Formats: sequence, C-alpha cells, structure tokens
Amino acid sequence: MIPADRDELNILAGEYVLGTLEADAVREIEAALPGNAELRRAVAFWEERLHPLSHLAQPTAPPPQAWNRIAARLDGAKPMRAAPRLWQSAALWRWTTAAATAAAACLALYIAIAPPAAAPSFVAVLRSPQQDQPAWVATAGGSGLLVRAVAGGAAPLDRSFELWAIAPGATQPRSLGVIPADGRLELGALPATIRSGGTLAISVEPKGGSPTGQPTGPVVFVGALVAAR
Amino acid sequence: MNLDRRAAGRTWPAASGWTSLPFRGTVCASVAHLDIGAMDDKVTKVSSLEDLLEAVQGGSRAALKRLYELESGRLYGIALRIARRPEIASDALQDAFVQVWQNAAKFTAERGAAAAWLASIVRYRTLDAVRKTGREVLSDDPSLGDRIDEPDILDRLDDARLEGDLKRCLDALDDKQRRCIMLAFVDGFSHSEIAARLAAPLGSVKSWVRRGLHSLRSCLEP
Repeated sequence: MIPADRDELNILAGEYVLGTLEADAVREIEAALPGNAELRRAVAFWEERLHPLSHLAQPTAPPPQAWNRIAARLDGAKPMRAAPRLWQSAALWRWTTAAATAAAACLALYIAIAPPAAAPSFVAVLRSPQQDQPAWVATAGGSGLLVRAVAGGAAPLDRSFELWAIAPGATQPRSLGVIPADGRLELGALPATIRSGGTLAISVEPKGGSPTGQPTGPVVFVGALVAAR
Repeated sequence: MNLDRRAAGRTWPAASGWTSLPFRGTVCASVAHLDIGAMDDKVTKVSSLEDLLEAVQGGSRAALKRLYELESGRLYGIALRIARRPEIASDALQDAFVQVWQNAAKFTAERGAAAAWLASIVRYRTLDAVRKTGREVLSDDPSLGDRIDEPDILDRLDDARLEGDLKRCLDALDDKQRRCIMLAFVDGFSHSEIAARLAAPLGSVKSWVRRGLHSLRSCLEP
C-alpha cells in the first residue's frame, strides 16, 4: 500500500531511494510511480538531495568492453518517442505569451494531423475568467495528461493551485492533483473524467491542496476540453 | 464553486489568429521535426549532461556515447561500491545505459539534475542485481582473510566533496541515524546488513533509518 499520509509517503520514498526496501515493496513503488505525482515528487526530492553522497564512491573506469555491449543492445531498444516529446521541447515553452498561443495552436494542429492514437486526445486552454490571455495549456492522450503554465503559473504565497476536472453533466469536480510550484502537473494515466465537453479548472487552495476533496478557494482558471480528431 | 460557465464553454481559438503570425513555421518545425544527423554533429559541442540527454531523447547515439565517456567512471564507481563485484557492477552499468537510451524522455519530462538522475538509475539497477544475486559480504575478521577495505564512512563526512545543506543536515542527525543512512545510500546495505555491521537489533536499525529520514526531510525542506 502506498500511504496517503504525506509524512509516511516521504519516508517510504526515502527508503526506496536509500535502497533498504525489500524487492516486493520496490516493485509496488515502481508500479505506482507513473500514476502518482506526489510519490514521484517525493522520490525526486530524495534522489536530488542525497545525490552528493554518491560522490563518496571512488570513480573507477568500467571494463573496456562495457560500451560495446551497450551499443549492441541499443538496436533492439528504441527510445520513447512521439507525442510526449512535444511536451518536452524546451524551446516550445520559451516563447512569449503571444508565441505560446501560436504553439498551442500548433499543438492542436499536430494532434489533429497525427496518426490516430490508441486513446482519444484532448486539449484545453485555461484562462482567467476575467482575462482573455491563455494561462495554462492542457494536453491529454494515450500517455496521460500534462498541464503546463504558459503565463505566470505561481500560486499566491502559502497557497497551492489545484487542478479539477468536471465531467459533462457532473455536479461535482474531481481533483486531479495539486500543481507543483514549477507550474507543471503530469499524470501518467488519463483520468476517466477527461472527456469531450468536460471542463478543467484551477482553484486556489491551502498549501498542499484542498483539505476537503472539493474546491475550497476561488476558481481562477477554466477551460473546455476539446477532442482532437 | 463559482465556475464561469461562459468562459468554460469557450472553444479552441480559431486558426485565423495564429496563421498570420510570422514565426508559425519555426514553432511547428521545432515541434514536429528533429533532425538526428544534425544533432549528432552538435553533440561534440554541447557540454551539459542535460543537453546530451535531450539529444539522446531525439535518438542520437553519439550523444549517448558522449554521456558514457563523461559519466561512466563516476557511475561505475557507484555501482562497484554497492555490488563489490566487477561483473555485477558492469552488468548494472550496461542495464542503466540501455535504460537511459529508452527513457531519456522521462528525464526531460520530469526535469531535475541530470547527474542525480543518472546516478539513481545506476543505483537502482545495482540494488536490483544485489537483491537477486546476494552480495559478497566482507567481515572484518582477519582470520577469514577479509578486511574492510574502505575507511569507515563516518570518517568521510568531512570529505570536501560533501558540503552545503546535506552535510549540515547529516551533521545534525543522531550518530546512529546518520550511519544507517550513509551505509544504506553509499554502500547499498539492506536493513539486516546494517544491523550486522553495527551489531544492533534489526528493529532498531529500521527505526533509526525512518527517524533519520524524517529529520533529514524537515532539515532539507525549503
């Protein structure tokens, strides 16, 4: 069981990174990682913060044949490609707000003209109800959901942004998670609430997310989900 | 929940806006097209691990090879320290680089420090191998012909390479907690190996690790 309690989760992630867990527990964590952003963040925290300790191991030249063996294995192992790369192009996100709009349009076009994916693809541009300027772009497809700030993206001091999905006809929003401080939330699996005609919304919540499971603060950004054919 | 339905119902902006923008070709080209040949040429010029990983993600073998040249000594050292057997450490290093080739996209998606990401992959692959095959445990009994060939890790806390917040926070830990955490991370010791090394009950070791992690987290958290 991956604990829901934040302290417990952090300690479990620490034990995973230290390497003290049994093989069963390791498998359970690795299976949960793609769908659990909180766990991924906790693991990344320990990997980065404990990393300086790895300098205590003496650098040693590997056996000379090691590279050739790696090279021989590359042909059968293709890098992960395609759609996710779209999200990861650093250049894409370095544009100004105006360019980001163009990039979002390109994204929609790309999804529209890309070969049919296994799962439906959706896009949404989230805006402040008071302003016309796009603030967040969400893309969803077979490999999950990515929400990324294109303008601003920082929550008020001591508050967190939380992402919600409202399915068509639903009366209650479902939480998709707290958006990390870097303005980027990624979910490995496509939540069932992501459907055409649905809505994504971002609310301001106490640090760490809504304590009630429902939005408690103002909704500051909203956007409709549009299916890309 | 006060949702502005009018705004929420607004659909994707029509194409008319962006088609008139002068840089649309550039934006779309950078998204839809990556020239691997051109990237290989750049590999010798780019220096940062992050840039190399981005090129690996695009399918550049030259970038992976460069990454190997830069990092394999450090990474093999980490694996060897944990596995203690060259053949296991070498296999783990190879597995790790194949995994880097396949999963470089995950790195750029999650961001973070490339050096820490690479070291983590190598550690996990090595720990997996050690869990499967067991480890040659060195006792410090000279009559068995064994010796602990590394200086006690606690003596290396003053190592110049260890500094900043992590050193400060480790220094603040109780001795036993610090020893457990370092033996686990650097030597890849399991709870029971730490217990044997420290001649302490297994239950105590487990609780020192947890308490140590708890204090470290509080100390390291921004």
